[in-house]
Amino acid sequence: MKHWFRLHGLAIARTLKALLRHPVSNGMNLLVIGIAAAFPLGLYMVISSVGGIAQKLPVEPQISVFLKTDAPAEAGQALLKQLQGNPDLQEVRFVPRDQALKDMQAAVGVEDLLGGLDSNPLPDAIVLKARLDAPALQLEALQRQLAGNPAVDSAQLDSAWAQRLQHLLNLGRNVLQATVVLLAAALVLLTGNAIRMQILTRHDEIEVAKLIGATDSFIRRPFFYFALSQGLLGGLIACGIVVGGIVWLNPAVADLAQAYGQQFSLRLPGPLEVGAVCAVTLLLCVLGAWLAVRKHLHKYH
Amino acid sequence: MIQFQQVTKRYAGGFEAVKNLSFEIQSGELLFLAGHSGAGKSTLLKLIAGIEKPTAGAVLVNNQNVARLSRASLPYVRRHFGLIFQDHKILFDRSVYENVKLPLDITGFNGMEAKRRVLAALDKVGLSGKEKLNPISLSGGEQQRLCIARAVVHRPAILLADEPTANLDRDNAHDILELFKSFHQVGVTLVISAHDETLMADYGRRILRLKNGQFTA
Ligand SMILES: Nc1ncnc2c1ncn2[C@@H]1O[C@H](COP(=O)(O)OP(=O)(O)O)[C@@H](O)[C@H]1O
Ligand SMILES: [Mg+2]
Repeated sequence: MKHWFRLHGLAIARTLKALLRHPVSNGMNLLVIGIAAAFPLGLYMVISSVGGIAQKLPVEPQISVFLKTDAPAEAGQALLKQLQGNPDLQEVRFVPRDQALKDMQAAVGVEDLLGGLDSNPLPDAIVLKARLDAPALQLEALQRQLAGNPAVDSAQLDSAWAQRLQHLLNLGRNVLQATVVLLAAALVLLTGNAIRMQILTRHDEIEVAKLIGATDSFIRRPFFYFALSQGLLGGLIACGIVVGGIVWLNPAVADLAQAYGQQFSLRLPGPLEVGAVCAVTLLLCVLGAWLAVRKHLHKYH
Repeated sequence: MIQFQQVTKRYAGGFEAVKNLSFEIQSGELLFLAGHSGAGKSTLLKLIAGIEKPTAGAVLVNNQNVARLSRASLPYVRRHFGLIFQDHKILFDRSVYENVKLPLDITGFNGMEAKRRVLAALDKVGLSGKEKLNPISLSGGEQQRLCIARAVVHRPAILLADEPTANLDRDNAHDILELFKSFHQVGVTLVISAHDETLMADYGRRILRLKNGQFTA
């Protein structure tokens, strides 16, 4: 066991020496790994930040249909019947004008809201809640159709922008997945190539060591430590880039949100996310090392 | 200690460098391997160390068939040997000290005792005080001594030296052979190859003469 630790200690020392022997090229490599990993992490932070407020917005599209005040009651009831049969809708609620007035009084907190008015000016309304999976186009068509109904004064498709935000988030998630896959492949190739170069430049050393009785694991070990250090440091650099970027962007983001009457800022990665990023970059770099070592070291025998 | 049983080595391409050789090397023996360039000396030494595998026949080291060893156990057998390569295989990206320490590194031997051993090996070959130099600044004879120090630092039982006196003047060559003699005196088994037989004559030991991969009288 002591022997095992000693061998690994030696390998770590050799790895550090090798890193410091080419500080520029290894530093560049680290930076490239960091930048590559910063893309998906940054995108993830944006998506999870936006997703946070998006969840507070009404997500199910809702259509409010206001009937004409002079429309006959039967026309309203007929429309209600017709809508209740629509499979895209999960809830169809009739809100009589008296109820609407009461709701409004409760919301505003004024008992005698009408004051001098001699009658309730509010129309009867039908509130429709669409199913979550209802196609947006169909809902827009329904909204147009309702607006054209002679008994209807106006029909408003609410939370359309929340819906769009939701679509945008979904798109963002898809882009994130694609980015993760592409950059994962990039990291594997990057480390694999760096290690291939090292194997080439250390050809003499590997050959002699092998000839005088070095084991395969002795030869491989420094390359894996190299990959481990690259993965870990690359992950930390990625987190640094993202934190720096978010801190720099946040004032502008907050201003933009303010313009929409929202309080919003981008979230910084937490310890769990930093750990996850480092673990992933580490694993990918080690995978790259494993592939390169498998391909390029077996000729030494 | 080392046994060749009808060993033939045919390289890829079909050339037979060693043809049906049988002989034995006793423990503690000092054996010379003579022959012109291309006679098969290096091939024979590589067969002993398991660097090349015989095409036919068997090479036994301590009654172990070297060719049958698994990839995992071969390194441990290699460590019984001290190897001095014809092309030196010195690493010029590190100091003399680091070069000599390499055999200890690969066995995980470290610390003060390792340092003491490296310095003792360098002292033995007459390179004391040069440990911090880059080997590129050493003379031909000194580079050869560096190779010897590296080959003995882990105290192997068998020393295989491939043309250690090539390219050296007569005095230097004699010094090197004296060095080997001192190893022989403490019980190390030595196999030394050379294309110049006149040097060996002074030592009056057993000489195997190779020609086209076969022994000659
Ligand atoms: N790896 C190899 N592939 C093909 N032929 C080789 C190889 N190594 C040596 N030979 C050939 O085998 C013969 C013996 O080589 P070698 O053992 O190096 O002789 P020596 O060491 O006595 O000069 C030479 O003709 C050489 O060209
Ligand atoms: Mg030779």
